[in-house]
Amino acid sequence: MSPFNDTGPKQFIADFYLSFHNDLLDSGEDPGVIIDRYHTADVVQIADGLRMDREKLIAHTRPVRKNRPSLRVEVHDALVDGEQIAARSTLHVRYRKKTFAIDTYVFGRFTEDGRMRQAHMLTRTLPAEVPEEREVSA
Amino acid sequence: MTESSYSVSGMACGHCADFITEELEQLAGVTAVAVDVECDTVTVTSDRDLDIADVRAAVEEAGYELITAHG
Repeated sequence: MSPFNDTGPKQFIADFYLSFHNDLLDSGEDPGVIIDRYHTADVVQIADGLRMDREKLIAHTRPVRKNRPSLRVEVHDALVDGEQIAARSTLHVRYRKKTFAIDTYVFGRFTEDGRMRQAHMLTRTLPAEVPEEREVSA
Repeated sequence: MTESSYSVSGMACGHCADFITEELEQLAGVTAVAVDVECDTVTVTSDRDLDIADVRAAVEEAGYELITAHG
């Protein structure tokens, strides 16, 4: 069974980013508990060539919680094949009094219950707000 | 010139490097900051000896944690 069947792939990715983000900022839960809700214990995430495992993901929750960025997600395209998803998104972020947008291209593998097992990401920070292109906004 | 390296946890991307660099560059005497995200290392070049408490405060202001100073 595909983890993307319930909501469709675009909404799945938007919900994944936002729910994870909101859980970190809105709850006082232990970071490890939140990371484990959205990732497998052996997760490997490689973003722009930088490898992050569970321990690094947990460590990264500290600056996120301190700086409390706002996040809006646009998913432009998402394609699935079994447990795999490929998606092109734009993350609109306000962080430490700066507003910027990041184009994100992800190839990911997820468990049936929607946790990330593996992801390869490429990102490109945009110099300014991009023109409106709203397929899925969350 | 003095060059000191520190282990910093929580960095994940180029934005993390930028935020830490911004804070450290505000310390008096700092002339350069080099961040190696993959190795969790920050190297600070300064024209005077830096107080570890000031470096730690700058790193924590950015949201990160200074683990050790390597001298």
